Amino acid sequence: MPTPWEAVVSEALIEARDVSVTFGSGSRAVRAVKNVSLHVDQGEAVGIVGESGSGKSTLARVLAGLQRPDSGEVLFAEESIYQRGKAYRGDKRRLVQMVFQDPYGSLNPRISALAAVAEAVRIHGAGTRAEATSQSLKLLAQMGISERDAGKKPRQLSGGQRQRVSVARALSAQPAVLLADEPTSAIDQSAQAQLLNLFRGLLDEGLSIALVSHDLGVIRYLTQRVYVMKDGEFVEEGATLDVFDNPQQEYTKKLIASIPGQDLRKAQS
Amino acid sequence: MSASAETSSSANVLVEIRDLVIGIQRTRSDRLIIVDSANFDIKRAEILGLVGESGSGKTMVCRSLIGTLKRRSASIFGGSIVFDGMDLATIDERKWRTVRGNRIGYVPQSALTGPNPVMTVGKQIAEAVRRNRRRSDKNVRGRVMELLDLVHIRRPEIVYDQYPFQLSGGMRQRVMIAAAIAQDPDIVVADEPTTGLDVTVQAEIMKLLREIRSEFNMSVVLVSHDLALIDEVCDRLVVMHAGTCVEVGSVSDVAREPLHPYTIALNRSRIDIATPGAPLVTIKGNPPAVGEWPAGCRFAERCDFVQQDCTIGPNPPLLEVRKGHWSACLHADALGGSGE
Amino acid sequence: MTLISAGTADWFDVEGTVPSPKRARRLKDGTLGLIVGLSMLILLLLLGILVPLLSPYSIDESIDIPFLPPNGTFWFGTDGLGRDVFVRVFSAVYLDLGVAFLGVLIPFAIGTVVGIGLAVSRSKVLNGVVGSIIDGINAFPLLVLAIALIALLGPGLQSVVIALSLTNWARYARLARTRAQVVKQQGYIEAAQTLGYSKPRILFKHLVPNVSSETTAYALSDLILVILLIAGLSFLGLGAQPPTAEWGAMISDGRATLQMAWWPVIFPGLALCWAGVSLSFIAEGLTRRERDVKS
Repeated sequence: MPTPWEAVVSEALIEARDVSVTFGSGSRAVRAVKNVSLHVDQGEAVGIVGESGSGKSTLARVLAGLQRPDSGEVLFAEESIYQRGKAYRGDKRRLVQMVFQDPYGSLNPRISALAAVAEAVRIHGAGTRAEATSQSLKLLAQMGISERDAGKKPRQLSGGQRQRVSVARALSAQPAVLLADEPTSAIDQSAQAQLLNLFRGLLDEGLSIALVSHDLGVIRYLTQRVYVMKDGEFVEEGATLDVFDNPQQEYTKKLIASIPGQDLRKAQS
Repeated sequence: MSASAETSSSANVLVEIRDLVIGIQRTRSDRLIIVDSANFDIKRAEILGLVGESGSGKTMVCRSLIGTLKRRSASIFGGSIVFDGMDLATIDERKWRTVRGNRIGYVPQSALTGPNPVMTVGKQIAEAVRRNRRRSDKNVRGRVMELLDLVHIRRPEIVYDQYPFQLSGGMRQRVMIAAAIAQDPDIVVADEPTTGLDVTVQAEIMKLLREIRSEFNMSVVLVSHDLALIDEVCDRLVVMHAGTCVEVGSVSDVAREPLHPYTIALNRSRIDIATPGAPLVTIKGNPPAVGEWPAGCRFAERCDFVQQDCTIGPNPPLLEVRKGHWSACLHADALGGSGE
Repeated sequence: MTLISAGTADWFDVEGTVPSPKRARRLKDGTLGLIVGLSMLILLLLLGILVPLLSPYSIDESIDIPFLPPNGTFWFGTDGLGRDVFVRVFSAVYLDLGVAFLGVLIPFAIGTVVGIGLAVSRSKVLNGVVGSIIDGINAFPLLVLAIALIALLGPGLQSVVIALSLTNWARYARLARTRAQVVKQQGYIEAAQTLGYSKPRILFKHLVPNVSSETTAYALSDLILVILLIAGLSFLGLGAQPPTAEWGAMISDGRATLQMAWWPVIFPGLALCWAGVSLSFIAEGLTRRERDVKS
């Protein structure tokens, strides 16, 4: 497992204050994110749940440093990440990594899984090429990707495997926070379960995770706190189990009522 | 499948699938079998769930029900699909044109293109209405409006002239459902109709499917990998693994007493009933790849209850272990009660 | 396409591609075509070297017996000026193929660079201006533009290459730009950013290879078209000038006397077809191999 990252000053690793993002201009402007504030503390898993069009993916990209907000601040370890120029300058860049929604697009189709991870490993410090390769193979093995599969190109791997390669690549930077945007959406149930177990293991090791998803089952399973997002705003937030058992807002209630199979859960509890 | 008659009267059974074998003829001598002996019935006005991992063959079974196997270079190598006196496994394309859409409708996966992107919604549903029939234009437009209304699309007059890209995913699926039921078929095959859609939209689509079942007496074959969904929406279900049906029964029977280790494993690995923080149960291993099926039971390698005789001999057949409840597990009886 | 047939298109089973059966080392689909195409091309290239080298007759030499039908000495007969058709046909190999190659390589290089440059540039002005130029050029059929330019530059193979370089690049640029815009949005490019890769690395190791794979494929099929284009222009008298031995020019020369002597026209024509077909096989073979997924 990668060595633990340096201790960070404050509790809140990532903090967003009053962030807004608007696309387009004039009468066709779309306010994707409206005055959103949140925080992700060290060692916790936070969920952002919302349906399509809620703005959650845009929000995730803002936190990752890929989308500059039109107003508001994003702080990492109490320091604003959007200074002039690049986001997450210098050393800070590697500490926040992202796993993207589409496993079919998150890997360069022309290079093998091993090459993709080894590149990241080398950029972040490993010595020789051989060392990078062996480190990458180890990391991939921990993600459940065999040496044989590591040599394959993305199109020869299943969706679940591609996601795990993406996670391995993200982890090679030894981040403090992992932002996951719908990591389980494009893969089938057993691959989902494997990926979630992986995340759970990483949480146990001290990684912080911000999970963006429309799948409430996944959110309920993995996260301690959750923000419910609709039309660019948070309509409810709190401890995950509280929000699920006692939703306060109409929208949250509607969301939870739509989850299939809940009769079974009610019968079990 | 045992010869014992169904408990409900056979007038209730619309389709009988027996020993269906589907595969691809790669070369003159080489065949790749994808579905090896599928066995189940489709009853009138029931919602039947078809569940399995990718590679289980469930999509091929769907295609055989609407006769589009040829487009994927697949063929039926054995068995029968008896529907209204016809064997769908043997009819030619000309006959299929009278069945497809007319007697058996189809709703495709939501994640794919679905509606033809260059035609307006109204035109496409009109085409579905008019298929193989002659109707005056006035009648057709009226029927299209009626259908749009049936699938609860608000402002049908406006949607009629819109293009698919102007609609949300949920609305597009409603359009596909409207087209599927346009000619009042007996059966609608819905292949993962809500995969990728938001959960509230999914709930509405499921509600819609239930409505078309009760109001129009249509049967729905719902294919999904989401067990929770199948449990909630379906009356009976068919579980497929590595090309075979391993369990068939009513949802309540199967939930109360699953009779196949695969079903048990699937249930155990559901995320929605998992305890937060505890490790998720996964089914170990992967389903055997098409063409690489081992001898004996194909789930044996991943099975928690495997015994000596499970790995030898032919693939275990589907047998009626309880009334109306079939299992392909040699030791189904011993399992009784071990499910959760 | 009705709704139903549209819905059941062949892109089901995203996860489950049917793997190849368990046969020891099956050849990738398309390998046969590739081998056939390459063999045909290599044969042509070899003959293109050997024939002029070993032939007792040069391409300009006339034996003063025009329209001699194919016989034991002159395997392809002689043309209207008594020249040996056989040696002329094969002398044209490197000329035709070479010019075609240049006529594709230069536009490919210019177009790919411009296209990618536009896609990554943030300048709206640049995109607007150059984009309009590209669209403008692409609005015209290539042949028409080429002819117009050659009319200005004067006929000759040099002019052909210049004309092509000035016009064909726009097609590559459009392709490269669209492709680059798509690739830019892909997850792996964004991942490269979050992983802190340098801009040059992202550009040259991730963006460019994924764009040039498309433009290269296009270039291959373009090559076939350009060969025909050059022969066509020469046929019209705009390309190779007499007495150059070039397939299109040879066909043009022999056209008037086709009735009585077929060989000065048919043999260069066959050589042209041979070249085109061999390249087609190669292109098709490569595309199929790209698509073939071995499990």
